[in-house]
Amino acid sequence: MGCAAVFGEGLSVTSVENIYMEEKYIICEDSLEGIFTAVYDAYALREGHEHLHVQVGEEGNYRLFATYLHSKADSVKTDKVIRTLKERLGEHVFGSICRAAASDGVDKGDAVYHTIVDGITGGHGGRTMENLRNPYVNRAFELARRTANEAHYELEFIRFQELKQGILYAKIGPKNQVMPFIMPHFADRLAPEDFMIHDEHRGLFGVHPAHGEWYLVSGVNQEAERLQDVIQYSDKEEQYQELFTLFHETIAIRERNNRRLQRQMLPLRFQDYMVEFLRNDESAAARNRQIRH
Amino acid sequence: MGVKIAPQMSLLDKLKILADAAKYDVSCSSSGSSRKNDGTGLGNTVAAGLCHSFGADGRCISLLKILFTNECIYDCRYCINRKSNDVPRASFTPDEVCELTMEFYRRNYIEGLFLSSGILYSPNYTMELICETVHKLRTLHRFQGYIHVKAIPGADPLLIQRAGYLADRMSVNLEMATAEGLKEMAPNKHRKTILKPMRQIQNGIIENKNEITLYKHAPHFCEAGQSTQMVIGALPESDYQIMSVAESLYDKFSLKRVYYSAFVNINEDKQLPAVTAGPPLLREHRLYQADWLLRFYGFKVEELLTKERPNFNMAIDPKADWAVHHLEVFPVEINRAEYRLLLRIPGIGVKSARRIIAARRFGNLTFEDLKKMGVVLKRALYFITCNGRMMYPTRIEEDYIVRNLIYQNQMGRGEKLPFLMDGTPYRQLSLFDEGQMLGDDRYRNIS
Repeated sequence: MGCAAVFGEGLSVTSVENIYMEEKYIICEDSLEGIFTAVYDAYALREGHEHLHVQVGEEGNYRLFATYLHSKADSVKTDKVIRTLKERLGEHVFGSICRAAASDGVDKGDAVYHTIVDGITGGHGGRTMENLRNPYVNRAFELARRTANEAHYELEFIRFQELKQGILYAKIGPKNQVMPFIMPHFADRLAPEDFMIHDEHRGLFGVHPAHGEWYLVSGVNQEAERLQDVIQYSDKEEQYQELFTLFHETIAIRERNNRRLQRQMLPLRFQDYMVEFLRNDESAAARNRQIRH
Repeated sequence: MGVKIAPQMSLLDKLKILADAAKYDVSCSSSGSSRKNDGTGLGNTVAAGLCHSFGADGRCISLLKILFTNECIYDCRYCINRKSNDVPRASFTPDEVCELTMEFYRRNYIEGLFLSSGILYSPNYTMELICETVHKLRTLHRFQGYIHVKAIPGADPLLIQRAGYLADRMSVNLEMATAEGLKEMAPNKHRKTILKPMRQIQNGIIENKNEITLYKHAPHFCEAGQSTQMVIGALPESDYQIMSVAESLYDKFSLKRVYYSAFVNINEDKQLPAVTAGPPLLREHRLYQADWLLRFYGFKVEELLTKERPNFNMAIDPKADWAVHHLEVFPVEINRAEYRLLLRIPGIGVKSARRIIAARRFGNLTFEDLKKMGVVLKRALYFITCNGRMMYPTRIEEDYIVRNLIYQNQMGRGEKLPFLMDGTPYRQLSLFDEGQMLGDDRYRNIS
């Protein structure tokens, strides 16, 4: 539907209705670069921010009386936005904004964009995220917390398995894009280890060579699937999994049994990746597995 | 004198016995210590602590919690490992403990080691074994993760000092709230020998802080402080007694945490109360709530309990209970009240109070804003005004508010207790509780 026309600095427009052009939506790629480029493009329009919106993802729900602009991720624009954010709002707020942009909220583009606008035009600087009366800031705050919480969960619940080559390998399936936030922790903690974290929802790998710098590898989904077949665990791996499963079972006090509390503290979607639950037939995760197969 | 170790026993069997024997120790937290990896080995520590798993009882599993040995020369009534019990006995070797810790840690199963022990031969002998194990872990294996060790009462102060320089946290268990209670329960233990190492560790920490101010690279002594635990419900102590002891431990011994452990009569000792209805979990929960009020909300025990009213109200939590007894303070104006006062409002916790303080610089807050910030309005609405108005017209009257708080919970709109489960005697009472405000935090690692 609609025709695409070149518009402004690298923006193309799909016009839906030409009668009332009340709201403008800038559609961008679902990545930090995509969102920051869209923010740059939004500022470049110089039309005021009130009727401008940033929308992540595909052209989904078209609205009547709205104009859709397409923004293409651009590293130069992204760098400019990052520099401005760090200068004007500080590292702390910048971190929150990145976490909001990494969340799974469908409205994150708009929340991030208008939070930046509120922080910069209001001159709130390092206090930008505290203006919770502003609905966009409130939303960005909430989304940032969502990512931060899940990243924290992953720090706790990731389970590494030792492969034949001595590499530690962990698989995760987070809702939010947590990889960039968890890699620094493990790179420090497991400094002398070669390890690899695999986000199976995004086909993304976090890789850390022993005593080296960590990096991300993406777009290798097909190879990743093949990887599953060739993975071989070290001889000792089985033994330690068994030991830990036993420890996990033994350490609970029977008189206080409380699966509900356990589930509340450790949601089932994480249990699906944890050895102590997968190996224990009584656990809900193991039961879940059986039902699914 | 050699160590009694059954060589034929597999690591799996030992772990089963020695984890089972350690499970009644409550302390699991891995918080309070923040250390980067120095590049020579494995591990670091995170100030907030991490919970790596949760057991079937919903308690956090953060550390590899084991006894070095469950052999014991003492005969404490409440303890599963007492000398007079006929239970399978086992001992680890230092190398086995190191292997388990390192391999579990690499796989991110655990945050570190919690090492306690039964008393093998003598307190000194046992403390030396603990020291040797932890020393090996720190030096040979260059382990930089979290270590929590028990100080064995009666052990040489030099050994305790040595352990303190290797561990992040140390603890001595107070076991019972009163000295008489301890005498009755643990004939071989004395209050004095428990308090002595506690004081030593406290002084050690203070001196160490001074050293570090002078010499930046001085070794750390119990960076994450010390903790202790008390058994609840084995003796007829009142909540007032227990909380007063906890308060003085915080004030006079600078403890980081006091843990309360609902009594489980594992030994079916005839002199101890039969807890057929299950451990007193609701009482334990109320004590933890009050403990949080002492540490983070600026309450004093005297405000919550008195000699005349020595036990907590089981129907509503200690903070709501305080509020309905101090209605002269309320309603509080959200846009003006100082932080300490905000903290006194039921439905507002440390986080939401901080958010309120920060957000109201930008302009007056409304009830809608409060809701979004995480304030539990259905509890708070009786106690607050926004811009001079209450949310609904309500009476500020004790009976009315208590009735309403309880009624909400009966309608299933209130927060639930963390331990609602089949067969607890508190199923009914649990309907009258809050949880989110304070409750669940204690299952995580914050301290």
